[in-house]
Amino acid sequence: MSRVTQASMSPRPVSLAELTERHRGEIVGYLARLLGDHQEAEDACQEAFMRAHRAFGRLAPDANSRAWLYRIATNTGLNAARRRSHRAARRADVHPDALPADAGPSLERREELRAVRRAVEALPPRQRAALMLRQFQDLGYAEIAATLGGNEDAARANVYQALKKLRAALGRGVR
Amino acid sequence: MTRHDDELIALLLGDRRRSPALGRWLGTLEGRRELRAYRRTLEALRQLYGDAGATPRRTVYYCAISTPIGRVFVAASEAGLVRVSFRQSEASFVAELRQRLAADVIRSPARTADIVHQLRAYFAGERRSFDVRLDLRHTTSFQRRVLMAAARVPAGQVVSYGEIARRIGDPRGSRAVGQALGHNPVPIVIPCHRVVAAGGRIGGYTGGLTIKRKLLRLEGAVAAAG
Repeated sequence: MSRVTQASMSPRPVSLAELTERHRGEIVGYLARLLGDHQEAEDACQEAFMRAHRAFGRLAPDANSRAWLYRIATNTGLNAARRRSHRAARRADVHPDALPADAGPSLERREELRAVRRAVEALPPRQRAALMLRQFQDLGYAEIAATLGGNEDAARANVYQALKKLRAALGRGVR
Repeated sequence: MTRHDDELIALLLGDRRRSPALGRWLGTLEGRRELRAYRRTLEALRQLYGDAGATPRRTVYYCAISTPIGRVFVAASEAGLVRVSFRQSEASFVAELRQRLAADVIRSPARTADIVHQLRAYFAGERRSFDVRLDLRHTTSFQRRVLMAAARVPAGQVVSYGEIARRIGDPRGSRAVGQALGHNPVPIVIPCHRVVAAGGRIGGYTGGLTIKRKLLRLEGAVAAAG
């Protein structure tokens, strides 16, 4: 029998340093998607890793350490989003310039991207988190459930609900 | 006709296959419009958030070796082995890595030395199992369960697709297992060739049945290789 271990769901690493080193890139990326701002994501990542440092001793030996790190990052990220919304000044309005360059010249397409981004920003935090975890962080529904709490069905429902809202934002005039 | 949003989303995310009812709905005007709308939604999401994280581009290192089953390519990221491939040209192997993993691809015998060494020993009959870390980020959680179950089948033995389904306790059964194994990103290292059809028949193999038989013979599982 071969001894193969998965880097993505490997057993508990020997040190927290190894764990955070391995996943720093994807966690920052995830927080940027959650918060919509890269600097805030870097800050939240720092904070999340500090929390992870304090909680590392309580991580069960057989736990999925990647999902554990995502759970801490999600809580930290959602807290940061909440603090920001209390600070009145929400710069949620998307300027056309903020759209990616490859959005192309089509005015219609730019409208569509703007509508989808607004809809993403209006999603309940857990739905936004579930959607990003599924679409961009390569987490399966079981791992999403381990990250957000709840069961696999709830994780899937959050992703599907989010996509239905985004689709609704395009309206009925889709050609 | 009722709408089938959940089923359509499941289809587009690869969670489930197309049901007859969904197929009929997708034949209607409304169904076609919704398929387009959801595709555009997912595409917009990718454009808006795909690179938003600015996760540093991954680098994947690869190498080719000559074996009794022809040229075998291996590729590894910093995290572990990502691909084993044969019956493919170097150019198409590299192009596929670039596209599927969105990675920079560099030829590096040094970075792949360990797995290359293990594979040579395997083909020389000096090694019957692998000790290697895998990077399976690009597989689904179901596929990972199937692959890890297949990894536990020792050399010299075979099990059926249904047996793997039973071991992972999945009701989707042998057909789903067969599909998951058919997309095994690291064949040989995860020995999907040791999974065969019920009743001792050889079953399928993405790399071709000749190679599947060769690998089983090499491992001494002759009965099933016949």
